[in-house]
Order: sequence, then C-alpha cells, then structure tokens
Amino acid sequence: MSMLSSVQVALGGPMPDMGLVEVARRRAVVRDSARRSIRRRRMTGHAMQVICLIAVPIGLAPLVALLIATVAKGAGAVSIDFLTHAPTPSGVPGGGISTAIVGSGEIVAYAIALAVPLGLFIALFLFERPGGVASAIRFSADVLSGVPSIIVGIFAYAVFVERFHHVSNVAAGFALGVLMLPIMVRANEEAMRTVSIDLWEAGVSLGARRSRVARSVVLRGALPGVVTGNLLAVARAVGETAPLLFTVVSPAFAMTLLIFNDATEPFPDAQQTAWGTALVLLALVLILSVTARTVAWTLNRKTR
Amino acid sequence: MIDPIASSPPSPVAGPPEPGEGGDGPAGLRPWRKPRRLPSGPLYAILRWGAAGFFAVLMIGLVVSIVSQSSQAFTHSGISFLWSGTWNPDAGDYAGGTLVVGTVLTTLVAMVLVVPVGLGISVSLSELTPRWLAGPLSTSIEFLAAVPSVVVGLWALLILSPVFATDVEPVLEGLPVLSWVFHGPAYGPSVLLASVVLAIMILPTVVALSRTALGGVPLSDREAAMALGATHWQVVRHTVLPGARSGIVAAVTLAVGRALGESIAVALVIGNRPAIPHSLLAPGATLGSAIVNEFAEASPGLGTSSVIALAAVLLLLTILVNVVGQLLIRVRNGRRLLGVRGAVV
Repeated sequence: MSMLSSVQVALGGPMPDMGLVEVARRRAVVRDSARRSIRRRRMTGHAMQVICLIAVPIGLAPLVALLIATVAKGAGAVSIDFLTHAPTPSGVPGGGISTAIVGSGEIVAYAIALAVPLGLFIALFLFERPGGVASAIRFSADVLSGVPSIIVGIFAYAVFVERFHHVSNVAAGFALGVLMLPIMVRANEEAMRTVSIDLWEAGVSLGARRSRVARSVVLRGALPGVVTGNLLAVARAVGETAPLLFTVVSPAFAMTLLIFNDATEPFPDAQQTAWGTALVLLALVLILSVTARTVAWTLNRKTR
Repeated sequence: MIDPIASSPPSPVAGPPEPGEGGDGPAGLRPWRKPRRLPSGPLYAILRWGAAGFFAVLMIGLVVSIVSQSSQAFTHSGISFLWSGTWNPDAGDYAGGTLVVGTVLTTLVAMVLVVPVGLGISVSLSELTPRWLAGPLSTSIEFLAAVPSVVVGLWALLILSPVFATDVEPVLEGLPVLSWVFHGPAYGPSVLLASVVLAIMILPTVVALSRTALGGVPLSDREAAMALGATHWQVVRHTVLPGARSGIVAAVTLAVGRALGESIAVALVIGNRPAIPHSLLAPGATLGSAIVNEFAEASPGLGTSSVIALAAVLLLLTILVNVVGQLLIRVRNGRRLLGVRGAVV
C-alpha cells in the first residue's frame, strides 16, 4: 500500500491521506517547473537562432557592397568605344580594352580546346574502369583543384616560357586548362553517374561497343550535367589572374591582368579603366553562370 | 549516314556480370563495376587511357617542375629556407621564413573571422530559413565564389582600404585589452585587411560544404531528438551539429587550403612588406603575394629559383591541407579510399 502511494505521488496522483489543496499545490509546482524549463530552452533557442540569422546579412554585405561599387564605378567607363578601342598608355586619357577582350578570349579558347576533350575522356575512363587507378586519379583531381592557381601559372611558365624563351597565349591557355581540368572531370563524372546502369546494360545487351554506348547512352544522358559543369569551369577560368602573370606578353592582352595592373596605378583614368573592365568581367562571369544553370534546367526538362 | 561503329560486325558480348566479378555489395546494391571483357574499339581505349595517362603526367610534371626549378634555392640556403631569415633580394637574402609566418597568420585570422559567420549562415540556410528564402540566399553566396579574385582585390584596395584607414582601424586601436594586436599607424593596406578579404573569398566554400554536411544528417536522428522533447534549437545544437561535425571540419580544412593559396587579392591589399608584422594593422606579405610581386623582378638564376622555391613551399602546404580535407570527406562518406575501404565515421 505504501509503495503504491509513493508511485502515485511520483505520478502526481492523489494520495489518500493528502488533502485536495495539497495535491493541487504539488501539481502546480511540477507544472510551473516544466513551463519554466520550456520557456528557458525556447529563449536560449531563439537567442541562438537570432545570432545565426545575423550571420546571413554579415556574409552577404561584402557581396552587395562589391556589386554596387563595381556597377556604380564601372558603368561610367563602359561604352561602345571602351569595348572596341585599344588601350592607351597609363596616364593618357581615353582608350579601351579591345585587346584585352580579344586576348582573354584567345587564352580561354586554348584552355577550352585542351581541357574539354581531356576532361570528357578522363571522366569516361573513371566511368568505365572503377578501381585503384580510377580512385587515384579521382583523388589527385580533387587535390589538384585545391592547388593555388599561381602555382599552376609557374608550372606553365616552366613548361613553355622557360623552354621556348618567349611568353605566349598558348602557355596562358595551358595554365587555365590545367586549372579547369579537375573541375570538369569531377562534374562530368558526377553527371555520368546519374545515368541509370540499366540503360548502360541495355545498350551493351544490344551488342553495341563500349564507345557506342558511351556516346549514345552515357554522354547523351549526362549531357545537361556535362554542359553545366564545363560552363561553370570556364566561368571560373575567365576570372583567373595569377596563372597569366608570367605567361602573357603584357597586361593589355588579358582583362584580369589589366584590372590587376590598373588597380595599383595612381591615375584616376587607369582606375576608371580597371572598374570598367571589372564590370565587363563580372557581367561575363554572371552570364556564363546563369547560362550554365539554364542549360541544365532546359535540357533536363527535355530529356525527362 | 553510315556510322562506322554501328556498321561494324556485331561482336560477341560478354554475359551479365558474374556475382564474383560484378562487385562486393549485396545483389540489391550493385556497385558501378562493369565487366572487363566487353568489346571495345581500339581508338576508344587509346583515347581513354591516353587521357588518363596525360593527366598523370600533368600531375607528376607539376610537382617535378616546381621542385626541380627551386632546387638551386634549396641547395643555397638548405632546408632552413622554410623558417629562417628575411626576404631581401637587394641584399641577396633569399629565405621564406617571414613569408610562411605571414601566410599562416593571415589564414589564421581569416579563419577566425569566417568560421563563426560561415557556420551561422549554413545553419540558418539549412535549418532555420524557409526553403523559398534559403534557395536565393545560397545562390547569392555561391555567386560570391564566382566573382574573380582580382575584382575582389580591386574593390578591397580602392573602396574597403580607405574605409579601414579612416573608420575601422582607429576604432580597433582604441580597444583596451587588444592593443598588443592592434597598434601602429592605420594605413589601410594591412594584414588585417588581407585577412578580411580572404575571409570574404573563402566564405562560399565554408557555406557550401557545411550545408552539404548539415543536410546529410538523417531525418530519423532529428525526429528522435524531437521525440525526446528537444526544442528546435536543441535539435540543431545537440543532434545536427554533432552529426555534421566531420563534414564541417572537412569544409574548414578545404577553406584553409583556399586561403593559403590565394595570391592576387592578397597582393593588392596586404602592403607587401616581407617582415614579420608586429601588429595586425601593419603591412605584411604572404607566400602568394611575394610570388606575384617578386617573380617579374627576380634576377635570373638564384632569384627566380628562390621565388619558385616559395611556390614549392606553398604547394607543399596546400597539398598537405587538401589531402587531409579530402581524406576527411572520403572517410566520412565511407567511400573507397585509393582502393582501400575507408572507415565509416
């Protein structure tokens, strides 16, 4: 009997020898304690959530400030003449960035010519032949994508400039290609992995060769991911400066180098040119990124 | 149109993958392993193996060329290049010690700035904000990653640095306890400014990778915590964050690798004085910024070789950090690691 009553006390139940007032008092104590606990925990939670949410505007502030500054300062510089005229020597007003645009375009074209086919075939290698070799390649691609771009620039310098004793856009394109390669390989492989193995097996069971299945099944299925990944890699390469430092003839022949050079010039005209070029570059990168996502979205809808 | 591959005579096809060959998982979870004895045109095999071989040559060539070009500097000053002496090419002093210190210092300060903000943003985006808001916000943060580093540097040099010189640095100097960290004239370009720029540039890396880690915590864990009466924040604090810990550590590690190697933006804002900075407001130099500034002016021979030796040191640092980061990610995913199955943590 006494044991039962102690259980009843623990559960907050009435005890035979306890008055109704006493029971109500004890219940109130328990209820208040629980309420205080949940209130305290909720308060802490709200405070911590507010602290976390404050981080979002802090993180976005630099981006917004940077965009506003670039558009405000660059819009005054950009015009048709700015895009179609060659640069003037520093200190001389006027002039444009046509040589830099053409130079950057040429360098990126070389980089694409190197990295896109190579990235596709390396990804196909990883796809067709899993195992130790593939794991090693995958791992080194991931590590390579973390290697600073300036080191890749020195590598290109050692391969081309040191050997042939003259700087060239080919060397710069090689450097950018090496930088894009790991991103492309991983993006291509991820895209190929989304293709169902049943489709691959169906292709093989029809008697097609590996190359035919790779082309008509794997690549076709992976196309949205491949296009997106490669475009994003190109967008990244367009904005690289460090690999071009030692491989391009003069800052007037690459947009990023022009910005880097003009940023440190004391002349307002040079700084104006730097802002204008930065705006053009930013627009280009934005267009490439948006195109990448749109392509993925459109192609995905078409194939589904 | 005649397709040369399709019109070639059909060759016998190997049967479905045998259980022993087909993989090591249970039948329902067949891994991606193809039978080896499939007919393959020689051209396709050559292209695949050629591309993979070229990649291996690239990787080895990168390391070998950097090491061989820097050998002259290392034979000149020995291994003490890493920690001793000053970088003063005019006096013939070539040693990377001060630059290593500058690199580690800027990276450290950048991490102190970016980890709380990055974690706060990832937790907000993955746990606290509604989906319609989290999508655009994370796209904006990702766009920050696409902004070229030279544009960030330009903005930091021409807009942020004057603000630092007039408004931020005098305030920091006035702080009571931290005067040993913040003292000296407020120029603008400084170690602190470089660290802030680094923090801005690696923020997207931290956010993207931590968000992936937070999202990977299974729903059942959260539900279990909720069933115990945990509040929303208690679920995040005691279930989601511990569950994502290794992924967050990997994210921070890879961000450290990024910060160590960033050179262009840092070169624009750090002030480029290759000495150990006496305060965070003093100018300094990092390995990357020194390579950017010194390479063109280096005298042929020992000068160039010493700059490339700086690159070798930087390469070593970043490869170490990245290997650790990649291993952390892989171990976490329980994937095969260089052919060896990693432990599942």
